[in-house]
Amino acid sequence: MGEVKLFFGPNHPGMNGNFSVHMYVEGDIVKKARPLPGFLHRGFEKLMERRYWYSNIALIPRICVPEPDINEACYAMGVEKIAKLDVPERAQWIRMIVLELTRIANHLMAVGGIGGPIGLYTAPQWGTADRDRILDIFEALTGARVYHMYIVIGGVRKNMTPKIEDMIWKTLDYIESRLPDYENLIFKNRILHSRLKGRLILTREQALEMGVTGVGLRATGVEYDVRKVDPYLFYDKVDFEIPTATEGDAFSRVYLKFKEIPQSIRIIRQALERMPQSDKVNVPVSKGSALRRIVPEGMAYVHIESTRGEYGFFVVSDGKNKPYRVAVRGASYPQGLYGIEKYLPGTRIEDVPIWLATMDVCAPEIDR
Amino acid sequence: MVAAYKALFNLVLGFFLVLSLEGVGRKITARVQRRIGPPWYQNFIDVFKALSKHPFSNGWVFDFGVLMALGGAMATAMIVPMGSTTWTPFPNSDNFFVIMYLFAVGALGMAMGMVGSGNPWASIGVSRALTQMLGYELPYLIVISSTIFYYKTASIHKLVELQKNGWNLLVMPLGGIIAFISLMGMLGKKPFDISTAPAEIASGPMTELSGKYLGLLHIMHVFAMFVEVSLFVDVFLGGGNLGWYLVKFIVVWVLAVLISSVLPRFRIEQMLKFYWGVPLGLAFLNALFVLLGWTL
Repeated sequence: MGEVKLFFGPNHPGMNGNFSVHMYVEGDIVKKARPLPGFLHRGFEKLMERRYWYSNIALIPRICVPEPDINEACYAMGVEKIAKLDVPERAQWIRMIVLELTRIANHLMAVGGIGGPIGLYTAPQWGTADRDRILDIFEALTGARVYHMYIVIGGVRKNMTPKIEDMIWKTLDYIESRLPDYENLIFKNRILHSRLKGRLILTREQALEMGVTGVGLRATGVEYDVRKVDPYLFYDKVDFEIPTATEGDAFSRVYLKFKEIPQSIRIIRQALERMPQSDKVNVPVSKGSALRRIVPEGMAYVHIESTRGEYGFFVVSDGKNKPYRVAVRGASYPQGLYGIEKYLPGTRIEDVPIWLATMDVCAPEIDR
Repeated sequence: MVAAYKALFNLVLGFFLVLSLEGVGRKITARVQRRIGPPWYQNFIDVFKALSKHPFSNGWVFDFGVLMALGGAMATAMIVPMGSTTWTPFPNSDNFFVIMYLFAVGALGMAMGMVGSGNPWASIGVSRALTQMLGYELPYLIVISSTIFYYKTASIHKLVELQKNGWNLLVMPLGGIIAFISLMGMLGKKPFDISTAPAEIASGPMTELSGKYLGLLHIMHVFAMFVEVSLFVDVFLGGGNLGWYLVKFIVVWVLAVLISSVLPRFRIEQMLKFYWGVPLGLAFLNALFVLLGWTL
């Protein structure tokens, strides 16, 4: 049997997102793989230059659909750094809570999502249902379920009421009580072990060479997490651990995500306890409307830890009411483009969706 | 004439029983997955809707393959006895080997038609399905051969009658378990749904099917499942009448669905290693016990 070209595109059930891989296979073995993004190119970076500083808040969450808040936080922190704004303390705690809630929601979807490529369809159903409870919190807090546009320049849009705080406590308890079920269903399954353990290994050298961050790097034993390495918000004031593994295989990448959920729950609980009571959650604009906000000349790079790795915004201002340039560092860029081309050849067809799922290849980040 | 009516009854019952059980299975899986699930008659809606659509053919090999698959499965479903001599349409030709032979016609028809569609995903799916047949049939046939040796007949309705005082499952529990594992593979339940894995090979053979063809192949699949589960019930849980047969059928089906809903799937080479490992060894052990007369 000769080489056959297969199109693993957006209409393929194993693909997550609007992305495609052209594969040349011989039998079941992938001989050559070429990633082909571009299905989702909307020119975010260019669009941002044509909008006011404030109205960009509505555009940037679209860069990453499952985890929109990291974009808002990055952008807002970048602008605050240039303008030297003092964000109220309560707003910073609320931002941390929102970011960690998104992390839990995204990890639940990713941990369940590994059930898709390997056929354990109970896992994604559970994961999505439990993620929905977090979306309920977001709906109560921000008015929207997916694109919140909540973290704005100078703070957050609305204050967190005691009722929502109570809701978060209860949801955290619920999710904590569900974790043993996930462990039993997914991570103690021997068939899953045989499919994921020792497969699709990315070594430390390869990961560092490509610039992979997040679980892809932590699974090789490097304790790299922006929350610890370069703490932003109040991450240096709370206790939490960074789970790492040494295998570097597909299983450890998924399992690390699962192990991060209790840590995020820990962070949110500490934040809820230590958050000061105050009505001040954003910096009011001194002159005129928020749309006319002028940011002084300057530039700033801000990076935060997303579920897929280091996520960064480089913001440049030339002192006008619109940004001069905003560049995004998508966390899944290296493993989504170079990783597929370099490390998929030699694996089997069955491994391709596992790579895409465990490496969290997120198409809009590449197509920004 | 009576045989023809009985055969027709086989088809009608098989169609309605398995399609409703598929719906019930979806409901059960949904409950395991903490959701409500579709109504039990959803699969009837699916099939009739697919049949009402305009077909899109991929050449005469494709057309012929689909019809051959459906014809082979229906012919087999007509012969299978349903739990007693009364409900055996063709008492002289319900030999196990006849059934297996006819059954292969349907499978090969499907393979031919789907390869005829020219889609590489379909070809990979068909090659996987045929590899899988190789996997589960070896232990299965060894267990059935020991059963035939034990009861000294290959006629299914006679096997059913001979189990009047005790199930074959209780005579050779090891063989029953292995046959059930093989049945999971035949039904394409997890962890053996490798040939139709959506995330890997875009549903494999089904990739190019649409409209009426999809409906026809769904019906073929329904009859195939009817034959597979019926054979297991007849050979291992024989005796009783039509009513008991239905109860056993449902129990076996629900068990398969429940196991399927909490397991991921194997890779193709893992599946082969699995079937030719422990189940095959135990099947030989079971055959040895039967030959030595060490049965319960």
